[in-house]
Amino acid sequence: MEAFQQAFRQIIGWMPALIKASGNTILLTATAVTTALALSVFLALGKISRVHSPSGSRGLNLLRKAASALVRGISSAYVFFFRGTPLLMQLFFIYYVLPRYIPALAFRERFWAAYIAFSLNVAAYLAEIIRAAIQSIPKGQLEASHALGFSYGQTMRMIVIPQAYRRMIPPVCNEFVMVLKDTSLVALIAMTDLTYQTKIIASNRASSLVYIPAMVVYLVMTAFFTIVFNRLEKRLSAKE
Amino acid sequence: MSIIRTEYLNKHFGALHVLQDINLTVDQGEVVCIIGPSGAGKSTLLRALNGLESVHSGKIYIDDTLFLHREEGKLVSAPPSVQRKAMLLETGMVFQSFNLFPHKTVLENLVLAQVKVKRTPKNEAEEKARGLLDQVGLNDKAEAYPAKLSGGQQQRVAIARALAMEPRIMLFDEPTSALDPELVGGVLAVMKDLARSGMTMLVVTHEIGFAREAANRVIFMCDGQIAEEGPPAQLLGNPQNPRTRQFLNSVL
Ligand SMILES: Nc1ncnc2c1ncn2[C@@H]1O[C@H](COP(=O)(O)OP(=O)(O)OP(=O)(O)O)[C@@H](O)[C@H]1O
Ligand SMILES: [Mg+2]
Repeated sequence: MEAFQQAFRQIIGWMPALIKASGNTILLTATAVTTALALSVFLALGKISRVHSPSGSRGLNLLRKAASALVRGISSAYVFFFRGTPLLMQLFFIYYVLPRYIPALAFRERFWAAYIAFSLNVAAYLAEIIRAAIQSIPKGQLEASHALGFSYGQTMRMIVIPQAYRRMIPPVCNEFVMVLKDTSLVALIAMTDLTYQTKIIASNRASSLVYIPAMVVYLVMTAFFTIVFNRLEKRLSAKE
Repeated sequence: MSIIRTEYLNKHFGALHVLQDINLTVDQGEVVCIIGPSGAGKSTLLRALNGLESVHSGKIYIDDTLFLHREEGKLVSAPPSVQRKAMLLETGMVFQSFNLFPHKTVLENLVLAQVKVKRTPKNEAEEKARGLLDQVGLNDKAEAYPAKLSGGQQQRVAIARALAMEPRIMLFDEPTSALDPELVGGVLAVMKDLARSGMTMLVVTHEIGFAREAANRVIFMCDGQIAEEGPPAQLLGNPQNPRTRQFLNSVL
């Protein structure tokens, strides 16, 4: 009983530091995923860009084809690179290596390095989610839009993306929860997130069990966001 | 005066020569039905007419104006894109699978293109939409989402949506093939009304009864070619081509 009470007091003592650090974890996750989302829409549209309804002069069409191929190439290469190399390497490269060559990038706050690395990395994954959602919209929708005279841009904006949007909410929410856990990698550049804070506390031998409440905090966060996102999905799907 | 005319349209899918020298004319006010076995190229022909399929060679005229001329798979001539789009809107298309926009209400389905493509003021577009919904017997469904409608109702909305753009000719690709038998009649009734009102129509269909009743001319297509054409009484009653006879025996 005595030992139990002591453990309890210890946990209470760790909590303020853990909760403060998990604020950084959530802040990093939320800002990086939001930024990545904006970037990924362009990447996804870039990856599927084609020249539609060729008309006008042959030279102009060639130019449009070349531009479209370039956009497609750049977007594909981006996704290939960021999904094909370890996130930790990308983080190290951005934090340790880039500032040597680009002094303006000498991060005074480790947060910014982590934010940039996660935004760039997550954008690649979200781009694939968005591309898959866009391409899952039945061809008939594009054909009907064409027959009604909508341009490619109008079709994407008014017909395809609003429908794809509903389909990509579940995988995007899933990705958010994955990123929340993956941000624990920033402990390796000593950014004070929940993982790094836990490690600091645990460096005192008497406090090594802090890992257990810290993992519970992660569980609470992931459970919280999972529940919120499920509600959101239900509400959106009920609209139809 | 012809609304649509093609000259020597050809198209291949790999080794398959799916459209072979198709010369088709549809005059103003005519109702033309295309019948023929599966794989004959009926859908491909219809889709080529409004640019959903590219053709290898041939010419398409809309309202006696050149809409597309291709030779050897290359574009020879086409009107500038603004005019091209205006010409495209002279054909309205109705698909086998309706293809309504599921995230928009019935009314929005009819209004969207009027406002965004033709720049019709919104209140005018809505008024027109309600009139058309009346015409297809669905004025009480304006605020419903397509998923809440039966297939037959969805197809009638799709017809109204195409009509909202005020096309000169309506193209139908097997508009009743995806429907339960008891829903076919309602859609055919709307199409017959439309025919009576003077709309020019080109209809791919398996409904021989509809062709007999509503068409001025029936075309039998087979293996990528127009094998026979004529007034319904003649083509359906006394076909000359043995392939036509064989096909009619199999469906009647
Ligand atoms: N995108 C495509 N790629 C390859 N082959 C195709 C494609 N679309 C159609 N075909 C082939 O072209 C031929 C004609 O197809 P089409 O859809 O025009 O026939 P149809 O006369 O409309 O037949 P149905 O009565 O079954 O609708 C068929 O053999 C079909 O398999
Ligand atoms: Mg067909």
